[in-house]
Amino acid sequence: MRNVKPVWRGLLLLVVGALIGYGIGLGLDFAVQRVISFQSPVAGLFSLLIGATLFFFGLIGYRGVTRGLTFQVLGTLIGAGLITAIRAIMGLDLFGAFLFTEPAWVVGGLVGTISFMAGIGALTDWWKWALGEETSEHHEEHQDWERYFGVSLDHKVIGIQYTVVALLLISIGGTFALIFRTELAQSQLQFLTTNFKLFDQNGLQAYNTLMSLHGIIMIVSILLGIAGMMNYAVPLLLGAADMAFPRLNAFSFWIAVPAAVLILSSLFLGGFDTGWTGYPPLSARAPLGMQFYFMGMFVAGWSSILGALNLIATVLRMRAKDMTAFRMPIFAWSAVATSIIALTATQLIGLSFQLVMFQRLLGMGFFDPDKGGNPILFQHLFWFYSHPAVYVFILPGLGIISELLPVFVRKPLFGYRWVAMSSIAIALVGFMVWAHHMFTSGMNEYLRVPFMYSTLLVAVPTGVKFFSWVATLWKGKITTPTPMLFVLGGIVVFLLGGLTGPPNATVSTDLQLHDTYFIVGHFHDTIFGGFVFPFFAALYYWFPKATGRRMNEFWGKVHFWLMTPSFFALTLGMMRVGLLGMRRRIADYDTALGFDSTHMLMTVMGFLIALSVLIFLINFFHSMNHGEKAEGNLWNSRSPEWQVPSPMPAHNYDQPFEVVGEPYDYGLVNSPYVKFSTDR
Amino acid sequence: MTHTQDKSSAMQQGLLIFIYLAVLTALEFFIAIFISNAPLLVVVAIVKAGLVLYYYMHIYRLNQEDQNEEKESPVYKTGTNRLGLWLFLLSDSFVFGGLMVARINLLGLTRPDLNQILGLGVTAVLLLSSFFMNRGETAMSHDDRKGFLTNTALTLALALVFLLGVVAVEWPTALRDGLTPDSSATGAVFFMMTGMHAFHVLTGVLFLIIILRNGARGKYTEEKHWAVEAATTYWHFIDVVWIFFYPALYLIGKLA
Repeated sequence: MRNVKPVWRGLLLLVVGALIGYGIGLGLDFAVQRVISFQSPVAGLFSLLIGATLFFFGLIGYRGVTRGLTFQVLGTLIGAGLITAIRAIMGLDLFGAFLFTEPAWVVGGLVGTISFMAGIGALTDWWKWALGEETSEHHEEHQDWERYFGVSLDHKVIGIQYTVVALLLISIGGTFALIFRTELAQSQLQFLTTNFKLFDQNGLQAYNTLMSLHGIIMIVSILLGIAGMMNYAVPLLLGAADMAFPRLNAFSFWIAVPAAVLILSSLFLGGFDTGWTGYPPLSARAPLGMQFYFMGMFVAGWSSILGALNLIATVLRMRAKDMTAFRMPIFAWSAVATSIIALTATQLIGLSFQLVMFQRLLGMGFFDPDKGGNPILFQHLFWFYSHPAVYVFILPGLGIISELLPVFVRKPLFGYRWVAMSSIAIALVGFMVWAHHMFTSGMNEYLRVPFMYSTLLVAVPTGVKFFSWVATLWKGKITTPTPMLFVLGGIVVFLLGGLTGPPNATVSTDLQLHDTYFIVGHFHDTIFGGFVFPFFAALYYWFPKATGRRMNEFWGKVHFWLMTPSFFALTLGMMRVGLLGMRRRIADYDTALGFDSTHMLMTVMGFLIALSVLIFLINFFHSMNHGEKAEGNLWNSRSPEWQVPSPMPAHNYDQPFEVVGEPYDYGLVNSPYVKFSTDR
Repeated sequence: MTHTQDKSSAMQQGLLIFIYLAVLTALEFFIAIFISNAPLLVVVAIVKAGLVLYYYMHIYRLNQEDQNEEKESPVYKTGTNRLGLWLFLLSDSFVFGGLMVARINLLGLTRPDLNQILGLGVTAVLLLSSFFMNRGETAMSHDDRKGFLTNTALTLALALVFLLGVVAVEWPTALRDGLTPDSSATGAVFFMMTGMHAFHVLTGVLFLIIILRNGARGKYTEEKHWAVEAATTYWHFIDVVWIFFYPALYLIGKLA
């Protein structure tokens, strides 16, 4: 085993672990239910958990994430066992359809999450502080690849950890989409039928679960993706040695891992059929998977909240000398705008989910009209976060566009101050628009018009950004390497997303469009334009900074030219069928509606997008070790991080720099942005 | 740590603020009993919260004049820590704000039928704990370790009294009177709001135990006691939450 490559050892142990886990699950199920069922959900869950744990054991041995996952599995069992013991004393049912009862699973899930954090060592320093011990400011760190699988306090390592987990989750969420997209290729049910069985869910339940999980896994992956970009880039752009709170930074990243495990667990434990919105009353009686979804999202929310806290503190307190507010890189502005929302509003989705969890566990009637509760209240609490959340997703991406555009146009960013303020404006207006998701919900009608106008108001600061981009492009010396292609693609796709927004914000048209595939097309456009394209741009752009090598330009262009047209066809198709009467979130549609061929086209395009992302992933991982060397200022950027050699040194800048000019004065002679001090 | 006041005047100020808070609490109790005026109760609560935010939590310290300090210096780092803590409190206040929205939406201008004496009692206990907490921090920042330990221990004792008062006395009383979590939205709101607050009290108690233990072992000095300041600020924040939750649950509106 010693001389086998770690990744093969890991994959071998993954298979072994999956089988062992499956066996354990079957055994436990048999012990409780007295029947052997090969569809056992618990067997599926243990197969995932033990397989993943042993995979990392093969990769890096018993430390880091392996220890974390081991602790999580044991913690979950201990927590669930404890509640089961208490139930035994109280004389309640000990076991349910999914081995443990629902309260036992919930407590187990939470104990497991904390155990993960303890196991991986994210709490160690704080525990020492509580005991009054000092900890060293900078940990000694291995410089090999294995440090990416354990707690590191280096913001660059954490940024890459975030990014890779985001790419992993995008792949999982995308795969789920391909599965149900295939079912939708034709009217009638083809393979997700009632005869289909997967972990005790029939085809229709599996469709609902996959559709819901696609939504939420993509959302979590976006949160991790923006955190990756912000963590990696913002301290470098500011000239800081690290984030303001490095331990909190590591905590924020690692708590997203048990969150992802919890969300994926719901796939096995009955799934859930509400979509990612989790509206009661349906979510109050959905299967056990609902609770795991709620818990996972709650925990992921803490990752987002604490990451945002850290980022705001970093930008406010860690800037280089003379970097005044309006000389900050524009990406720092958008990162702060995003963080303002993530810091505050995220608590409300956490609260709304908690209330449903308590309603399920203790019968508390917050959203139960029989007990004087109000289901509409959930929607208000939920959308108070979940609408601004889309600005959390897109603002960093729009910041990337503004950040990279001047580099490849060789011209100053047009209207820097307006662009900076527009991000903050979008964030603040974003707090006042949530009820536009509820025009058909039965909320008080007088709320409709104010929320319509506040929503339309968002178009103003967004328009400022478009105006700036177009004016920056105007008469520029445009070059189009891969990052620039994705920047331009992002602008065009986001424009389509933006233009399809007002029809949804306007009450009269929204009453027709609500819950149709038109909405699905609209938000895929905004999210691809506002996150996915800029995310890829940022990856192609900063990849050399992180690795000292660049990604293959040819395959990068193939990625772009394959993904962009397919994506347009996909979302325009979505909007077409939406306008013709296709409801969202359902497994089937009537042949008589006459859009079978459009659905088939969309499915094909979905697979082409997946192919392009696969090309990207291969390019990404291959270029890490085999890419063309790129250690200098590859893009001829003015930004400080490109003035030092790649890959970035462990503690960032050896010499501090001070800001002596405007950040985006491309094309002007003798106007440097930063000046590095020569002493020290 | 630089301080503009000497110790005795800082202590006197703390006492004065406590008296104001106590009078205002009594005032809101009587407003609720005799004229039952909801807007007036809101105003009183805001005034109380403002007093605690300014005089006990020292929110003005956020306006830090340390921009010229070295970024690696302890003073600058404490300033960053302080900003981080306040951002956390801002975030946390959205949880309580959300609960308040739920309470207003579900209960409107009605309130659960609770034991008024008990409610006023636990409120007084929590307020008193805030008073001693303030004295503890003031003592620490004037290098009076003994005063810090005594006052923090008193705070901790009162914190435990509050916690037991809510969870071990108030909850069973409510359950006996038929107000259960699953009986009605009113019961659900009552247990959720007091439960969420009690959870924060519990974490505050843990924080107090930590600073008490480390303080007893001489880990803090006049210049370097960020943990004490953090625990203090957090403890007062818990008090501020209760300043709004107490009238929301006990005083505002008619009996359901």
